[in-house]
Amino acid sequence: MTKQIELSGVNKYYGAFHALKNIELSIAKGTFVALVGPSGCGKSTLLRSLAGLESISTGDMRIAGELMNNVPPRKRDIAMVFQSYALYPHMTVEQNLTYSLRIRGIGKAEARKAAQEVAATTGLSQLLGRYPRELSGGQRQRVAMSRAIIRHPKAFLFDEPLSNLDAALRVHMRKEIRTLHDRLGATSVYVTHDQIEAMTMADHVVVMKDGVIEQQGAPLELYDRPANKFVAGFIGSPAMNFVPATVGEDGRSLAVDVGEKQTIVLDRQLQPGRKVTAGLRPEHLHFVEPGQGVFRLPVGIVETTGSATYITTSTEAEVTIVETSRRAVKTGDVIDISVLPADVHVFDDKTGLRI
Amino acid sequence: MSDTNRNRLMLVIAIIMAAIYLFPLYWMYITALKSGSEMFATPPSFWPSEPQWGTYTFVWESRGMGRYLWNSLVIAFGSVTLITVLGVGCAYVLARYRNVWVDIGLFLILMLQVLPASLMITPIFVGFSQLGMLNYPRLAVIIAIAAKSMPFFVVLVRATFMAVPQELEEAALVDGNSRVGAFFNIVLPLARNGILVSAILIFMQAFGEFVYSKSIIQAVELQPASVGLNSFMGPNTNEWNRIMAYATIYVTPILAIFVLLQRRIVSGLTSGAIK
Repeated sequence: MTKQIELSGVNKYYGAFHALKNIELSIAKGTFVALVGPSGCGKSTLLRSLAGLESISTGDMRIAGELMNNVPPRKRDIAMVFQSYALYPHMTVEQNLTYSLRIRGIGKAEARKAAQEVAATTGLSQLLGRYPRELSGGQRQRVAMSRAIIRHPKAFLFDEPLSNLDAALRVHMRKEIRTLHDRLGATSVYVTHDQIEAMTMADHVVVMKDGVIEQQGAPLELYDRPANKFVAGFIGSPAMNFVPATVGEDGRSLAVDVGEKQTIVLDRQLQPGRKVTAGLRPEHLHFVEPGQGVFRLPVGIVETTGSATYITTSTEAEVTIVETSRRAVKTGDVIDISVLPADVHVFDDKTGLRI
Repeated sequence: MSDTNRNRLMLVIAIIMAAIYLFPLYWMYITALKSGSEMFATPPSFWPSEPQWGTYTFVWESRGMGRYLWNSLVIAFGSVTLITVLGVGCAYVLARYRNVWVDIGLFLILMLQVLPASLMITPIFVGFSQLGMLNYPRLAVIIAIAAKSMPFFVVLVRATFMAVPQELEEAALVDGNSRVGAFFNIVLPLARNGILVSAILIFMQAFGEFVYSKSIIQAVELQPASVGLNSFMGPNTNEWNRIMAYATIYVTPILAIFVLLQRRIVSGLTSGAIK
């Protein structure tokens, strides 16, 4: 498969600050990639470097096979959607859309036709004569998207494009962007701090922290086999429970330190007596009849959403359980919980790496 | 005291202050229309009994005001053009780059603003005379005014540029424009109002400039109206009505510009502060 974007050994320094550390990333043509991580993790810097708005300090950056290290943004043939949309306030929607075409010397009539075609697909046909200040947030977002797709660029870069929209519109635009990506057969890089956006939209998720790629892969791969504690805690909502644990004498069980020590069975062999951290996803913990579970936990807080009930225990290392059946539970109850051996994640206590 | 009463009191104070401030202007307008004897009457009259409109034409012709005002316009337009062309670029750079050197530069620019013209004129005069600039006195004055007013312009226009989001420029770069192109296509149109307002303020300053013109321009036919007004007055002057008529002709156009553009000027001055 042809590689549309390739980064190898990319580093970026701002003075003494090391913003990007040895980034290795290769993106096949037609892939939707999400860069996700907490703020300050370098995901926006990486995107801006791809756009050419920041220069990289060392390493190689290729777009469609061509070395782009010192190429100015206008010669990279990429399109970017900004968080603030960055629509030109003194131009109408049509002028905003055709700006890039007019710079390239495309004739007025042809540019107008292109604008009308794009506007028809994004539902902006009625708004071409308006100014950005006369549009709603969602419409502005659409103009920003249309401005990007009108030129058929080699890659689309999105910098948290949905963070200024309300929740309902965000969910809707998520699908719209993904549909657009599929229809255009585009290559997209999408920066977000919202792991749900990353999981639902992307083919390939890149989790970053402090300028380092912690793990990259298909969304479910990250969910099922997180490489370390950080990724495990970042992907999935509500977040994974982490509890201190010790591997048992036989090497096939864990003594878990919640409330009174309890034992859970493992599906693999570990070094007996080793101190580890057990990772348990809230949705993998199930209610069972009294006496049948591996845990007996006192209930602390019960939150109901309607579709699911979130139960937080009153143990020292708090454990959150998501239960979809409507079971009457209240604060102070003691409940029995079981977990499948395959659903138990184990991480090294010191390095945080998956075992 | 209730809020309404306090507001009324404030309004009264404001009106009194404005009246004190505007009284000289009022006095100028009515004195210009008084006859010689009414001018010196005690108690003074606050409204001319027989307006002498003829004073204006007499002063215009006898003092050659057309020429003076023309010189004032040449100097004012020259200074504004020079300051705008040079100052816009300077202000843009100072708005977009943030480091120690920019801070030092801004500090020096503000320092320049502090020095008074009457202090600067001696070194400027000596320097210009060495360079032979005194042979082109109006140009010399334009350059001197530009140097004096540039800091004010740069500081105002810098605030305007800072109000233009950098993302717009970046969007233009990604859209395929060069930095220069993005500046002219995107940044400049958005900063137009602020630049216009600053230019008008500079124009009004330069139109009334006195110290440099008086010192540098010796030839009467090249002097601006401010210097002409000064030469009108001597130690034994008693034709105050004519002097006031001169002042009226000189100052009314500037006042008119200010009143007409007042709203835009005020909003332009605060454009850096609010979005």
